[in-house]
Amino acid sequence: MNGQKLSVVGRGVPKVDGAELVTGRAKFAGDLRFPGMLYAVARRAGIPAGKIRGIDGSAALALPGVRAILTAGDIPGPNIIGILPPFDQPVLASQEVRYEGESLALAVAESREAAGRAAAAIRVDLESWEPILDVDQALAEGCRKIHPEGNITFSKRLVKGDVEKGFAEAEVVVENTYHTSFQEHAYLEPETVVAVPGGDGRVTVYASCQSPFHIRGHVAANLGLPASRVKVIQAYTGGSFGGKDDVATEIGCLATVAALKLQAPVMIVHERRESIVGSNLRHAARIHYRTGSRRDGTIVAREARIHLDGGAYASESPFVTMKALIHAGGPYHVPNVRVECTAVYTNKTYCGAFRGFGVPQVTFASESQIDELAAKLNMDPLELRRRNALRAGQANATGQVFAGSVGIVQTIERIAERRDRLPPVRQDRSAAAGAGSTPEGRWLYGRGCACLLQGISNGAEGIDVVGASVQASQDGSVLVGVGLTDMGQGSRTVFAQIAAEVLGVTMDRVTVRQVDTDSVHDSGPTVASRSTTVGGMAVFKAAEEVKASLVKMASLMLKCEEEQVLLEENFAVRASSANNPEVRIPLPEVCTAAYWTGFPLMHLAFSRAPEARFDHETHQGDIYIAYNYGTHLMDVRIDRLTGAVEVLRHLAAHDLGKAINPMGVEGQVEGGALIGFGMAHLERIEHEGGCIRNANFADYAVPSIKDRLPTETIIVEDPNPTGPYGAKGVGEPPVAGTAAAFANAVAAATGRRFTRLPIRREDLLAALQERDAAKGG
Amino acid sequence: MLLEFELNGKQTRVEAEPTLRALDLLRDVLGLTGTKEGCGRGECGACTILLDGMPVNSCLLYAAKLQGRRVTTIEGLTAEDGTEDGAEDGTEDGAADGGGDHACQGDCPPLHPLQEAFLAEGAVQCGFCTPGMILSAKSLLDRNPDPDVGEIEEALSGNLCRCTGYGKIIKAVQRAAGDGIKAAREPGPGSGAGKSGRRQRGATR
Repeated sequence: MNGQKLSVVGRGVPKVDGAELVTGRAKFAGDLRFPGMLYAVARRAGIPAGKIRGIDGSAALALPGVRAILTAGDIPGPNIIGILPPFDQPVLASQEVRYEGESLALAVAESREAAGRAAAAIRVDLESWEPILDVDQALAEGCRKIHPEGNITFSKRLVKGDVEKGFAEAEVVVENTYHTSFQEHAYLEPETVVAVPGGDGRVTVYASCQSPFHIRGHVAANLGLPASRVKVIQAYTGGSFGGKDDVATEIGCLATVAALKLQAPVMIVHERRESIVGSNLRHAARIHYRTGSRRDGTIVAREARIHLDGGAYASESPFVTMKALIHAGGPYHVPNVRVECTAVYTNKTYCGAFRGFGVPQVTFASESQIDELAAKLNMDPLELRRRNALRAGQANATGQVFAGSVGIVQTIERIAERRDRLPPVRQDRSAAAGAGSTPEGRWLYGRGCACLLQGISNGAEGIDVVGASVQASQDGSVLVGVGLTDMGQGSRTVFAQIAAEVLGVTMDRVTVRQVDTDSVHDSGPTVASRSTTVGGMAVFKAAEEVKASLVKMASLMLKCEEEQVLLEENFAVRASSANNPEVRIPLPEVCTAAYWTGFPLMHLAFSRAPEARFDHETHQGDIYIAYNYGTHLMDVRIDRLTGAVEVLRHLAAHDLGKAINPMGVEGQVEGGALIGFGMAHLERIEHEGGCIRNANFADYAVPSIKDRLPTETIIVEDPNPTGPYGAKGVGEPPVAGTAAAFANAVAAATGRRFTRLPIRREDLLAALQERDAAKGG
Repeated sequence: MLLEFELNGKQTRVEAEPTLRALDLLRDVLGLTGTKEGCGRGECGACTILLDGMPVNSCLLYAAKLQGRRVTTIEGLTAEDGTEDGAEDGTEDGAADGGGDHACQGDCPPLHPLQEAFLAEGAVQCGFCTPGMILSAKSLLDRNPDPDVGEIEEALSGNLCRCTGYGKIIKAVQRAAGDGIKAAREPGPGSGAGKSGRRQRGATR
């Protein structure tokens, strides 16, 4: 597939589902209406820890319009959900409250308002316990156990080389401890499901979700149904970023229990507060980091100890632990690396998948270290990175060696080139700008850069299989089904481009279905920036099989060898040769003939990533099928009087193998960058006694249009042999690069290293005042 | 109570509880689910509708407040829009022809220039904030056909988007404004947006 002329792949195309989105016609789960539909609202604990002594729904049931109050006893199955072992989260708790959002009972009523009133009227008798609020408290000897096995969710090590020996050889060492805060996904569409009982012993769940097969499995288990009786259809999903996975299984189970009990469709729509309190967050992290180098800047050893606060349930903590562990060393060639990572239970909202999956946290720490080292060595930070950057053929932190598609050096060089061509930042140091301040002027200017890598595919997290079907109709149109979801990121468009490219049809002839668990192979969760890479490969393979039928048919019709047939722009073409002029047959005629000749027009293909092979004690081995590499550069200016930060420039270079849809790539980079900026500067979940006190968009600062970044995307294409047309995913990586570059830019501007994200305006102002006071005194 | 108001260019009479939110009246009673609920507290703008041309959060508005007003939802921006504005100047057709790279076929009505521009610029990802975003932008362009970046920012500052990073939204509004001005200057078919090729990157701040 390389070297050929491409017609659709590589072109910036608008979203194939864009028209229904801009007209408001797309049906999100909350837009669905079914006759007799009921609404359900959960009664949540409201305290972070305690014993459940009793739940009394009688008063609530007596309210007008209320149809049922359900508790744990109404769940036929094991009443357990979770994405991975240890599956430790009840659908409805009956014994113990482990976080404030714990669902204790479900009120089902004829309207959402009535259900809400009923949920509030359910009497719960709770014995409140002292909550376990942080990692140190949870790990202290004698601490109450949040789960029977103790308060460690998951703990792993990565060991490469001999880190003691490495530090003994080091001539310069930097060491610091970094912290990051909990972050909320803040997708605009709150979590929503509708469960509709069928007349055929089956139930259909429409869900705003990321991983429909997770929902199918949990609904079946908790209802005591064979999975074959459960059909999950992904409705249009208003953003997810990792968030609509656990919680979608939770409300999917709740709605289905209610729907089957009452034999009526049941909808659950979270309110914004529930969406924040009652679904997973990004892990808060504490990272102690040490880096040693020679005087020439060659890094010889890196060591990190990471603690992740995972809240009340495991969710994806085990995999986030591994991902943080594997990525902590950064995109560098370092002979000696040791990382320990431990996820810990606390009595707070649980943490799980969020775009980046542990990588933004460790990248912030790792890249702060590189800048601290550069300062100590008196070296240009970008040059220090280039000197240590991983190259093809070199072993990364897990000892994995890639023969190609290791584009970190290219991203650094592209950033350096762009930087050198940019006009210098115009610095306003005029007297007027200094009014009321110091002789240095009002603005502090700084430039920061950061490098990152992000593993593509499930890798160490398990098998990576995606199923796709491609079907050509007699009219020459093409229907594609893939088991991975589009939550807004544009994967349907990428899949359409790949099918169109292979089959030589125009984009308007291709339809990519929403995922429906009845008609595609279980493709696991839509995570790990793997849709384009692994999913795209499945579409490519299925389309190739259909193409084989069409080419065979066309060769019979065109009376030529199959090799002479080209499919392009909805025609089968026999190219002109010395004796023959070009001949074209419309593709619908070829499809119709293929049907009547009995050639297969539909194919189901699998893309299976090579299995990760590694030592589970040391995490040495081949883990991901590819990595996305990136380098970011950011220029900021900080208002000395107010602490306000203005981002003047943001360059984001990513090696993504091949940009199937460059416009989609820009969208992913710009959107991911702003989430990284939010993490670095604006967003912080505030806890008070274990409860979130800013669970709304007034108090939790989701970036607005005024906070947007001037992101300039630079695409580097070092082809990845395991992806379609050489592509690698790009969904997650921009988050980490932006957050880390921001921290370094702020450090450059202020001369102070901030070790805690977010670095907010008030933090900056306080630090600057302290600094100026120290200078003055 | 009986409510009478103009909805997307049509006189509408509907019986509703006066304490019903305008958002619920539109979505649940009138079936116009293009208006979205993101937070229920007026903090995200997903439920934006236009009331006499001005953007409001319909989650904070009682249905009774629609009495006698002119209401526009995203559903009113397509075919009916020309009627509503009384502006039959061919702008929409032109833009629809020019930017017709979207996959909308068959029953899809011609798109409003803003809708075309959002598609062409890649300003839509999940699409949940898009109806509200487009309505806020429409209100701006109706009042100010040639806004600068600061004015666009101000007009859209009440609409949150978590997917796009906003840069492409600014460009989409600029593109629609440019197309509108061009169309007004040289009316007639083919005056709309170009194909979805690469455009010059405008510094947005």
